[in-house]
Amino acid sequence: MTKMFGAPIPRREDRRFLTGGAAFLDDLGHDALAVALVRSPHAHARVVDIDVSGALDVDGLIAIYTYDDLTGALAEPLPLLIPHPALTHGRTAHALARDEVNHVGEPVAMVVAKDRYLAEDAAERIAVTYEPLPAVVGIEAARHADHLVHDDVPGNVAANYTQAYGDVDAAIASAPHRLSLDLAVERSASTPLETRGVLAEWDTESARLRVWSSTQTATGLRAAIAAKLGLDLTNVEVITPDIGGGFGVKIVHPWPEELLVPMAARALGRPVKFTEDRAEHFVAAAHERAQLHHVEVGFDDEGRILGLDVRFWHDHGAYTPYGLIVPIVTSTQLLGPYKPGAYRVEFDSLYTNTVIVTPYRGAGRPQGAFVMERTVDAIARDLGLDRAAVREANFIQPDEMPFDFGLTFQDGRPLRYDSGDYPATLEKLKKLVGWDSFEAVREAARAEGRRVGIGLACYVEGTGVGPYEGGHVLIETSGKVKVATGLTTQGQGHQTVFAQIVADELGVPISDVEVVTGDTRRFPYAVGTFASRAAVMSGSAIALAARNVREKALRVAADALEADTEDLEIVEGVVRVKGNPGAEIALGTVAVLSNPLRYAFDEASQAATQFVVGDPGKPPVADDDEPGLEGRDYYSPPHATFANGMHAVIVETDPDTAEIRILKYAVVHDCGKLINPRIVEGQIHGGVAQGVGGALYERMAYDEDGQLQNASFMDFLMPYVTEVPRGIDIDHLETPSPLNPLGVKGAGEAGVIPSAAVFASAIEDAEGIPITSMPISPSELFELRETATSARTDSRRHSEDQR
Amino acid sequence: MKISGDAVLHAPIERVWQALRDPAVLVQTIPGCERMDATGPGAYRMTVTAAVGSTKGTYSGTVRVHDGKPPSSFAISASAAGAPGTIGTDVQVRLSEVDGSTLLGYDADATVGGMIGGIGQRMLAGVARRTADEFFAAVDDALTGEPAAVGFAEAPAGRSLTPGGLVAAACAVAGFVVGAVWGRRRG
Amino acid sequence: MNVRLVVNGVPYDVEVPPRRLLSDCLRHDLRLTGTHVGCEHGVCGACTVLLDGRPVRSCLLLAVSVDGLEITTVEGLAHNGELSPVQQAFADCHGLQCGFCTPGFLTTITAGLRENPDPTEDEAREMIAGNLCRCTGYQNIVAAVMKAARP
Repeated sequence: MTKMFGAPIPRREDRRFLTGGAAFLDDLGHDALAVALVRSPHAHARVVDIDVSGALDVDGLIAIYTYDDLTGALAEPLPLLIPHPALTHGRTAHALARDEVNHVGEPVAMVVAKDRYLAEDAAERIAVTYEPLPAVVGIEAARHADHLVHDDVPGNVAANYTQAYGDVDAAIASAPHRLSLDLAVERSASTPLETRGVLAEWDTESARLRVWSSTQTATGLRAAIAAKLGLDLTNVEVITPDIGGGFGVKIVHPWPEELLVPMAARALGRPVKFTEDRAEHFVAAAHERAQLHHVEVGFDDEGRILGLDVRFWHDHGAYTPYGLIVPIVTSTQLLGPYKPGAYRVEFDSLYTNTVIVTPYRGAGRPQGAFVMERTVDAIARDLGLDRAAVREANFIQPDEMPFDFGLTFQDGRPLRYDSGDYPATLEKLKKLVGWDSFEAVREAARAEGRRVGIGLACYVEGTGVGPYEGGHVLIETSGKVKVATGLTTQGQGHQTVFAQIVADELGVPISDVEVVTGDTRRFPYAVGTFASRAAVMSGSAIALAARNVREKALRVAADALEADTEDLEIVEGVVRVKGNPGAEIALGTVAVLSNPLRYAFDEASQAATQFVVGDPGKPPVADDDEPGLEGRDYYSPPHATFANGMHAVIVETDPDTAEIRILKYAVVHDCGKLINPRIVEGQIHGGVAQGVGGALYERMAYDEDGQLQNASFMDFLMPYVTEVPRGIDIDHLETPSPLNPLGVKGAGEAGVIPSAAVFASAIEDAEGIPITSMPISPSELFELRETATSARTDSRRHSEDQR
Repeated sequence: MKISGDAVLHAPIERVWQALRDPAVLVQTIPGCERMDATGPGAYRMTVTAAVGSTKGTYSGTVRVHDGKPPSSFAISASAAGAPGTIGTDVQVRLSEVDGSTLLGYDADATVGGMIGGIGQRMLAGVARRTADEFFAAVDDALTGEPAAVGFAEAPAGRSLTPGGLVAAACAVAGFVVGAVWGRRRG
Repeated sequence: MNVRLVVNGVPYDVEVPPRRLLSDCLRHDLRLTGTHVGCEHGVCGACTVLLDGRPVRSCLLLAVSVDGLEITTVEGLAHNGELSPVQQAFADCHGLQCGFCTPGFLTTITAGLRENPDPTEDEAREMIAGNLCRCTGYQNIVAAVMKAARP
């Protein structure tokens, strides 16, 4: 039998997506009532009055809800999902604004009507009177704190947090060389093609709620809904339909609408659906990335970092539902594959009157990589050394693994790298991109009047954080294998890769394996899909569950075949005695035998009835056994497993227009064992494209009043095919993780992490001007050139004056 | 849910007092009132058709007018049920005469149940107030001899009432108030 | 208003308000939900359908404006259960991940290859340059166009 694990097989779920047969959230509930939200047009204001009288005549209007309609736990602020001791001033919104709004887009009232058109008709006729308050927009304004976002949060500071090892002050003070840098990254957002959405049905007879949501966590949402609506968990089901991308934004839960829509469904006794529109998604979902950083670094003559001191300011928007995850990830993952002699990182997490900030693919790592890689480039430039050589000088070596920094990672566990071979990764990358021969390329280009540059950037990514995931594997009497895991799927190909794992573990054809994710009816214990954890967590749990099933199948088959389990193998869904053709039993039959029956309903089940099987002297199901051929298991790691990778890019910058063109993009990636290389490469492709967007195009353009100026796909520039590299050269390294049964590490976010860093490196190399802020547009690069030119002119004049 | 409001009726207080307790006036002026039968002194059974938004329904129930202190105050208690839900309400009505007109103030406390109870307080209150306004306008027209503009036949410009737009109102006898409250529920 | 839409060869008579978008009519009135809406203003291309064979953004058209015209949606690309060459190429090349934008690419490329059955890679990129995908980075979509042209 062909081994499935590691095979680049085509995806098994594709057909329904290719034929229009997939079911996304808005493809469901055609007869449901529709929702439209009245959202704040002000970044900061008191809500003085809400007058709905103008909406009452809208035909098709069913209901209008405001804060006053929220009762019990629903009237309290939304959950602060991830508390942290340093988060001393965490604040969350109400599901509908109570008396104050803190960002444009914050929901103030919800309309339910017969369809979305009518709901919007009514929503626009609701008159809300606001008393505008001064808006705090941007990190500088938040730091100055001339105005406060929340009156009871001094200085707009939600949290101040420091981690350190070694004596960084002494290390920098005594270092032969020192540099300081200021580095900035602007806002971007996940922006999946499918917006958020939720559909709820209340069953009046059984008092049960069924919710479909385009969420990255079905179980988390289920618990939140039960708690907020005062329902028993058992009476709430959450199902994720096909989900049109997540990239982090859909891990936030419960969104206001995920509570309000079930509330309305229960109140009205009818199905109710919310489908977010694109404009809403820009102002009512979540953003990420905006941070300012100040770096002090001391290093020796070889560029080895002796002390690294990073202070940064994180803009988390109006509220902190997701705690400090993003800045904690930055502060820990900034270190990448390097081992500074001493390290200190301190951040402030700041309120602004803008959309909340929660993890977007990479989740603080792109900023961390940008800071670290810019610093390493600056060191190389300062010393006149090769940038790759300075990196090599700072690498943690393979024989130092596991490497424990003595810091705490985002999961509250030690920042301890489990495996990786960074020198080998760099070696591969240099070959792949032609690092050592680039000077010839540069000279050739220069001869043609062209300006090119090369950059590289490294990262380490903690993936597969806990607490746990589970898997359930069931072999039906038909021989079909049904697999369930609780985390959710947004296009990662779980129905393929999990089936690959099970097919190998059980020895069944992959065509017999069916995988369900994100349905609390099928698997109620789970955490969710984020932090590149699905393959690591659910993949491992499913493998363990499959091993349990295999063990039982062999035990039951051994009885039936009167053989020793040691002598059995499973091939193509048939258990057989090795070396004894003919002595075999199909797994479906084993499933029949594993469930002692009183009633037969077909020919197969006759074989399992009470007069046919079992030792009459023993109970049909032994004390320590269960009926059925199924297994459930969980995987809970001691800490994250750390994937790594390195990217290189060659860019050409137009000497006149400052346009930035990508000539070559190369990736070397190490996510441990590859379950399906085709899918991993697809993840890298997508990550790189998002990285290009983040480095060169995408930003959230807030004006000083907190109005988002580019809240549409016409103005928020997501890359089309014309903006991404023509071809991405990928090479893999596989250093298996010792932490899980499959040896895998996460791959989902990797592609996006080093993008800002690698483009800054390459543009700086092409231009000879320090690049300290990303993204960078052609006009910004043009400005930098102008500034650099006049600075050179000034300094020349200055030195002439001196003379 | 508590709702308060007031209205000016262009007639002396005694005439207003009479009109508000005259079933013949009320049945014409309560928005959506289909029928109203006296069942005892100050007690009525009535049927009202109303719509709040697009939730339409017919409600039937009882209304009792009590604690009358002519001509300055009385109270109404009403309860009714229809397919979209139930309502119970107590309304205090105050009358006072100013320059030959009558100033009417009311305070209603209503409990709305069933689906109609789930449509949101502001929407209920908005519908109730509007129904009350329509009712008072109709009563005022009746008192001043204008054709009733209660909206059964044609809606006043700019209001575009649906058949139910009159929202249900009314409940009852005292029509207005109660009406108001009902109206909301039918939502 | 009553309109007749001929979708994937099947005539539908449907009563719609004048302001109903073609995308909403297809999805919610005819329940052909393969056509997706990603931006509602014609930028992302997810809602692309073929109108008398030519790709159009169904989120920018009113249903009443296409009365009597022939529409092809993603549901109409496969024949007798067999994937079209473009669909098959997407499966073969891993040209989709979440699949939300995919129907718009499939219809766009189907029309594009009819016009230019043998595109260069540049032409293939040009063909899909008006459609947004947030998952794939387009690499495998370009490959799928090339493969569909030369299966």
